[in-house]
Amino acid sequence: MTLAEFFGCSLLAFGTPLVMFALTIANDPVRIIIMIVAAFGWLLSFLLSSLIWYAVVPLRSYLAFGMVFAIIFQELFRYGMYLLLRRTEAGLKEISENQDIGSNKMEMAYVSGLGFGTMSGAFALVNVLADSAGPGTLGLQGGTEYFFVTSAAMTLCMILLNTFWSVIFFSGLDDKKYSKDPEKKLHNSSSYNCLRMINFVPNHLQELSKIHLNQ
Amino acid sequence: MKYYLLLSIFGVFANCERLHEQIYSSIKGGAACFRRLNGTHQAGCSSSDKGAVGVVQMISDITDAQWIAFNSSAGPYMAIVNTDIFKDVIEVLMGHPENVAGVVIFNNVTDSTFSFTQESRCPNEYSSGFENQCSSSSSFVWNDQGTGLLRRNIPFPIFYLPDSKMDQIEKIQECYLKFNLDKTNQKGRPLCSVQLNSFMFAAVNSEVCLRRSATSALLSPTKVCDPLGDNNVYYSLFPRPKEKETANKSIILVTARIDSASLFDGLSPGTASSVVGTVTFLTAAATLAKMIPVTEANLYDNNVLWTLFNGEAFDYIGSQRVAYDLKKGSWPYAPLKPSNIRLHVEIGQIGGAMTVHKNDNLWPLNVYAPNYSVYNTEVSEFVSMMLNNTMAVNYIVSDNLPPSSLHSFRKILKNVTSSGDLPELLIVDHDEIFTNLFYNSALDQSDKIGYFYHNISIGSDGTFLTTAELLLNGTMEEFEPQVKISRVATAFAKTLYQKVTGKAYYGNITASAHLVDEILYCLLMSQACRLLYAVDFAQSEGGEEKMPTRAPPLYVGVAPVENTAPTFAGHLLALLTGQQLNLNKTGCDAPPQPGYSKYWLRGWNHTGVCIQTTMNFSQALSPAFVITDYDMKSGDYSTWTESVWQTMWARVFVSAGGGGATVAVISGCIVTVVAALLTYWLKRHAAIAFAKAPAAVVVNEDAASGILRTVNC
Repeated sequence: MTLAEFFGCSLLAFGTPLVMFALTIANDPVRIIIMIVAAFGWLLSFLLSSLIWYAVVPLRSYLAFGMVFAIIFQELFRYGMYLLLRRTEAGLKEISENQDIGSNKMEMAYVSGLGFGTMSGAFALVNVLADSAGPGTLGLQGGTEYFFVTSAAMTLCMILLNTFWSVIFFSGLDDKKYSKDPEKKLHNSSSYNCLRMINFVPNHLQELSKIHLNQ
Repeated sequence: MKYYLLLSIFGVFANCERLHEQIYSSIKGGAACFRRLNGTHQAGCSSSDKGAVGVVQMISDITDAQWIAFNSSAGPYMAIVNTDIFKDVIEVLMGHPENVAGVVIFNNVTDSTFSFTQESRCPNEYSSGFENQCSSSSSFVWNDQGTGLLRRNIPFPIFYLPDSKMDQIEKIQECYLKFNLDKTNQKGRPLCSVQLNSFMFAAVNSEVCLRRSATSALLSPTKVCDPLGDNNVYYSLFPRPKEKETANKSIILVTARIDSASLFDGLSPGTASSVVGTVTFLTAAATLAKMIPVTEANLYDNNVLWTLFNGEAFDYIGSQRVAYDLKKGSWPYAPLKPSNIRLHVEIGQIGGAMTVHKNDNLWPLNVYAPNYSVYNTEVSEFVSMMLNNTMAVNYIVSDNLPPSSLHSFRKILKNVTSSGDLPELLIVDHDEIFTNLFYNSALDQSDKIGYFYHNISIGSDGTFLTTAELLLNGTMEEFEPQVKISRVATAFAKTLYQKVTGKAYYGNITASAHLVDEILYCLLMSQACRLLYAVDFAQSEGGEEKMPTRAPPLYVGVAPVENTAPTFAGHLLALLTGQQLNLNKTGCDAPPQPGYSKYWLRGWNHTGVCIQTTMNFSQALSPAFVITDYDMKSGDYSTWTESVWQTMWARVFVSAGGGGATVAVISGCIVTVVAALLTYWLKRHAAIAFAKAPAAVVVNEDAASGILRTVNC
């Protein structure tokens, strides 16, 4: 039963991104590269936030502290991705078979957003998925057995939200509408992230810190 | 709103834990049943390599066990049983193992059980001498309450939680009451479950597992089982140098057993089964050594050879080896001929009667001797000497001897023992049925003989208060086991004195109840004890408190590992009976006089002493593992091996009812298919869905409609 839960949750969280990847990204090498770079960018942002969390020893047990930095770094790196893509636009066009690339700016925003989202989703869910393989489920100290499926659904939301945020963010920057949209977007982002992090950041940060400690 | 969010965040973080710790709670302090193998069978328990998972069912009476076996629906089940009903419950569960994942036994002191023994009804039945009449199928059995689990293959794991770990049972019970109470409607609901992991590497029988241990050279060399074994301890009253004729003095062989056993790893207290006998043996040996100084060795033609056998619980490993070596003429250091043994006296199981006589002065003992004793004067003479020396015993002549090392001698040295050339007698505390109802079990603890430690300090020269002094100043009472043991040890030492010297003892040397108190404390309560510290090799640093505060394991264990108990007993014999030499540590390393060995022990005042002693150790490994090409199925010698295992752990958690999994699979499939269709449709109709001009992007409140218009794929 628990193995079914593991595969069900994996499908729920990563089925949609996988389908989107297969249908819209996989056929263009340049898009794949952009997506991987974006995913790597998210990893770097998380590395930095975990370093800060690890360095400030007295606040280590207050995970809200690490969470705030995680959001700040994530958005900084999203801006970094924007700059990077705009700088390399011409070069990408050169090497791409698809000469239209970059003609629609939202295309790149979508691809990099999906990369961002997939990586953050993977980090959010991998611990939970590992525990969903059983034999136990939540309940001994409260919680219900629907925790895993809810987590997977939340992760899917997070992946899609990251994609949308990238699109809105890039578009706002392109149109120089800083005052209105990005602010709204940032507000959305941080409050959603807050909610989100309640569940998952503790896991990641502890996991990451363990990795660091082991090394 | 903002504040609320912030508060909720901190609220959650305050008791933040890893998800894993919220799901599982490990059950600590349990002892697992493990697997042993003999020449033909495997015995004991093993889980699968991932551990056995079962739904918790607290067993309050036999009907609960029958419900698991016949009526349950959400199996397999993990039965949580108290010791008092374990005996009945286990038979029901073993009859229907398909519904049983495992058993957790706990010992609730308030509902304490009147008997608990996993030994067979006829202990060591298949290694008994030729006239043995005890048979597990017959109604005449020694260990009437025995379940025989120690020798049976149990198809599921069993964990034991001692009374000090009742909090763990309460944890399981709490979870059980929350989830599992509705017995009729368990299928498809979240249920409290327990997982037991005690996977055993060895299987089938000793022959197979030893072969597997030896022949994996091509792959990684892994050991799956080890032979059981340890050391026997022997000590002679007078030295027996190899070269001299004095070695041929006729010998009175006095033996006892030092080991015990139980179904569970690390829990073999063996109080009534063996410790009382061992302590009587040690005290009597120390007393006799004081009665007859070693300087008088040349005056007498007799010698006393004291031997403690190890591994007796598993087909008499120690005594089989000694009898085998005697037959071959290679035991002890100066080999002894069986014909030189004038009398063999075994101090058998004598602790059981103390349970019944906890509050009075009685300690009825029986002496068993084989049928030939009717004509043999050695035995009847010795019995009358015992009676003369105030050792009240009841003399029983029968060829059906209780389980004891005599069986090894009667089996292996048959030609001398059946004729009576090697007269034998056995001191026990029971007649037809064991008085000890906890024979070789985890509950054979110090409370069964009513033992309380008095914690009296020992003089710096090793003087102990005498029993008379202790009784006079009211420290001890007549009914206490210490006093009873010292009385019997004194009488036994006096009897041996008479046997060796030919005259009765009129001196005032007696066995000390104080010494008995200390030895019992070391063997039953804690290794952090005065005697163990005094006899420990002087190398290890740190005080008494450095030693573990639990009793030393009395289970014989595997041959490559030396246990504390025989080493302790040997060194204690050396310290109590040996001569203290005025040498320092380096001087003590010089070769000893012939017939002696030297030990550098910490001593009574902890400064280190050099002791010259006749005490020595001999290997207690079954001849089956010594003889090349021994046929393991022949049944001649003990063939017990113990399986290797990696981990033993138990945990409690809630197992999913399947609702979450169903929702996850269904929603996962639906969402993925919908997403695929939507993405495909959008890709096909991108021109309609999205405005080509990226500059004209308008972002709505609704993010989903935003992407429809802005992403062009």
